[in-house]
Amino acid sequence: MVSHGLSDPVIRQRRMPGVRALVVLSALALVAGVASTGAASATATARHRAAAVVSHKGSFLACEVTDTGGINDRSFNASAWKGLEDAKVVDPSMRIQYLSSTSASDYEPNIKTFIGLHCGIIITVGFLMGTDTENAAKAHPHQDFAIVDYSYSPPIKNIDSLLYDTNQDAFLGGFLAAAMSTTGYVGTFGGEDIPTVTIYMDGWVAGVRYFDKVDHKHVVALGWTPKKNRPKGSFDGTGTFTNSFTNQAAGRTDASALIQRGADVIFPVAGSVGLGAAAGVKAYGHGVTMEWVDTDGCVSVPSDCSIFLTSVTKGIVKSVENAALSAVHGKFHGGNYFGTLKNGGVALSPYHKFAKVIPKALQNGLNQIKSMVEAGTISIDPDSYPAS
Amino acid sequence: MTAVAILGGKPAVASEARIVSAGRRRGMGIFLVLASVLMLLTFGLGVSAGAETTFRLTSPFSTAWYLAPLHFPVRETSVVMAVVCAALGLLLIVRRRTRGTFVIFSLGVVLFLWSFLAWAARNNLLDLAGMIGATLISAIPIIFGSMSGVMCERSGVINVAIEGQFLMGAFIAEIIASASGDLWLGLACGALAGGLLGGLLAFLSLRYSADQIIVGIVINAFALGLTNYLTDTLLVPYQNTLNSGPTFSPIAIPLLDKIPIIGPDVFDQNIFVYLAIVLLVVLTTGLFRTRWGLRLRAVGEHPEAAETVGIHVLTVRYRNVIWGGVIAGIGGAAFTIGSTGEFSSDMTAGLGFVALAAMIFGRWRPYGGLLAALLFGFANSLQATLSVLNVPINPNILVMAPYLITIAVVSGLVGRVRPPANDGKPYRPQ
Repeated sequence: MVSHGLSDPVIRQRRMPGVRALVVLSALALVAGVASTGAASATATARHRAAAVVSHKGSFLACEVTDTGGINDRSFNASAWKGLEDAKVVDPSMRIQYLSSTSASDYEPNIKTFIGLHCGIIITVGFLMGTDTENAAKAHPHQDFAIVDYSYSPPIKNIDSLLYDTNQDAFLGGFLAAAMSTTGYVGTFGGEDIPTVTIYMDGWVAGVRYFDKVDHKHVVALGWTPKKNRPKGSFDGTGTFTNSFTNQAAGRTDASALIQRGADVIFPVAGSVGLGAAAGVKAYGHGVTMEWVDTDGCVSVPSDCSIFLTSVTKGIVKSVENAALSAVHGKFHGGNYFGTLKNGGVALSPYHKFAKVIPKALQNGLNQIKSMVEAGTISIDPDSYPAS
Repeated sequence: MTAVAILGGKPAVASEARIVSAGRRRGMGIFLVLASVLMLLTFGLGVSAGAETTFRLTSPFSTAWYLAPLHFPVRETSVVMAVVCAALGLLLIVRRRTRGTFVIFSLGVVLFLWSFLAWAARNNLLDLAGMIGATLISAIPIIFGSMSGVMCERSGVINVAIEGQFLMGAFIAEIIASASGDLWLGLACGALAGGLLGGLLAFLSLRYSADQIIVGIVINAFALGLTNYLTDTLLVPYQNTLNSGPTFSPIAIPLLDKIPIIGPDVFDQNIFVYLAIVLLVVLTTGLFRTRWGLRLRAVGEHPEAAETVGIHVLTVRYRNVIWGGVIAGIGGAAFTIGSTGEFSSDMTAGLGFVALAAMIFGRWRPYGGLLAALLFGFANSLQATLSVLNVPINPNILVMAPYLITIAVVSGLVGRVRPPANDGKPYRPQ
């Protein structure tokens, strides 16, 4: 029999639904695609209204590519964006825009999109974007970049690498945690086993051990065991990780495991996964507290401020603002920047609700230790102190 | 099977009873014997004499009746348990009877786990009660997800969109609960959001016979993109009004919460735990003891036969896929208003797919899904506990463990798994 193909009304009727389904499906996919990049254009619209007087043609565009945690992670992505917003306050002629990455495979296309938009500077956020940024910078030597949490050796001319010695303020955080513990156990966990995370855990554990040494106590730091005899600048070790920066449930499980072992101060180094830890801490109650990471928790997560002893922060906001402004003013210079306690690039945040709970003597002691760390007179390597 | 056999006969529970072949019995026996060798050499003789461990049966501040911690030597305990485990394995190998095979096998596995935990926590402390609590909490969304999967697939539609329904349920529940301050309204809207995505899945795969797996994947991508977009545009500027809501507080059930070890973990929990228990009972009875369940299963097994006796196949499928979406939406709400009270981008982190695996592992049965979800939860909790105890096992291996088991189940190593005969196949009324 000869095939009638589409002219056959029966077959046609049967095929049409398939075609329509395809149309609906592609529409859905389109919406999904637009939605994930739509944020940028939405903010762009808001900005057009705000800065209507400024001529757009030729005005400076500063762009941010976020990591998987998204722009609202209360952590480094949000901080970098805040830095750009602050830069815009200083110099309202600039425009700012961001693209969210939902997975690691988005890094490269997002960077390319921004290169296509002729951004004056592209800020990539996070250690995990190190290689993609390097490749893009080498392929486009006239495009300026800044990257948060990564450094290159040797430095690359068109990348401003922003790195932070967060083990310095984490050392203070660890000391505070050990001093406030009543059970003799404190604990930390990380999002992923990468240097920008473990540097925090490392300094924190060093702080706990330093407390033991000077106060002749035995407070055990759980969740991170630094490797012995490491080369300088390495933060290797074994510890507890959620293996995700989005899985809040895993953060809760890890926090619970630490609490079960006796820890009464928890330090999650995992961006918004820390919210899961906060839920675990609040569900347990009984005097367990936390320290927040990257940003001042009482500002970024005000609803949980009552359980935050302090926050171990890094000055992403200020350094991103500086990088963007120097690019706007034509003074961009590549190379490696290191935030330290001394230059204000890292800091322990105010104690907020615990300002009256933490003894004055301890607060003074922390200030003294801070100046000793700044002067480099005490070691912040956990290997320098015996473990409890 | 004829239509009469499916629809006219008794509920087909008896025909689904497991038959354990001699080969599998022997396989289980060999597994136990091998496990006992590991117990003897590593957990027993590999431990220095005098090493002790403590298993805590009552967590500090627990409301349960107090049980003193178990304090025992690791080496001796493991050696004794290894001998018993080996004996159980040999028994399985030589025995002819089928009954009791699973009881013997499970006993052996428990002995193995006990001795492994004793080894992991040697000269240290393990909070057994706390671990059970953490197991349940991380299993909760997975339980809802696998129930959703059972509803859909028993009626013949594959629900790969559980992840997207989770995410949408979590997002909508949080926004509504946060804006209105009414947790129940949030829960209802979260369930509704899941149901809507279920409706979309049903519409595309039933009305247009589109490939159900592709539709599911597209819905997941859609939900992720949409929630990310709305998070950026709504939750960032209105963080304090839209994304910092209340959470359900635990409700203690008098007396039951005093049961040692499991009491506070099961009977002093928030509404989601109780909802999961109710759902389990309702679904199990509904599926296997009622006309509704019979029709549902008939539609998934043999839609033509169901049609001939007057069941409207597509209606039954629509209804169940939407209800499946509602259940997944409730599971999604557990992420936000049942736990942290804040939505964050991609917070379900692939647990919807874990739920799908749990449903398959649970052989398309509600209680099977529950047990599998608890196993996944236990693996999470175990992995966290071991890393805190600083056990020299790469944590990634433990993270893999539940998936390895799922592969083993799906590939038929542990026994034959049969999905509903018309699972995933489009149906056109004649």
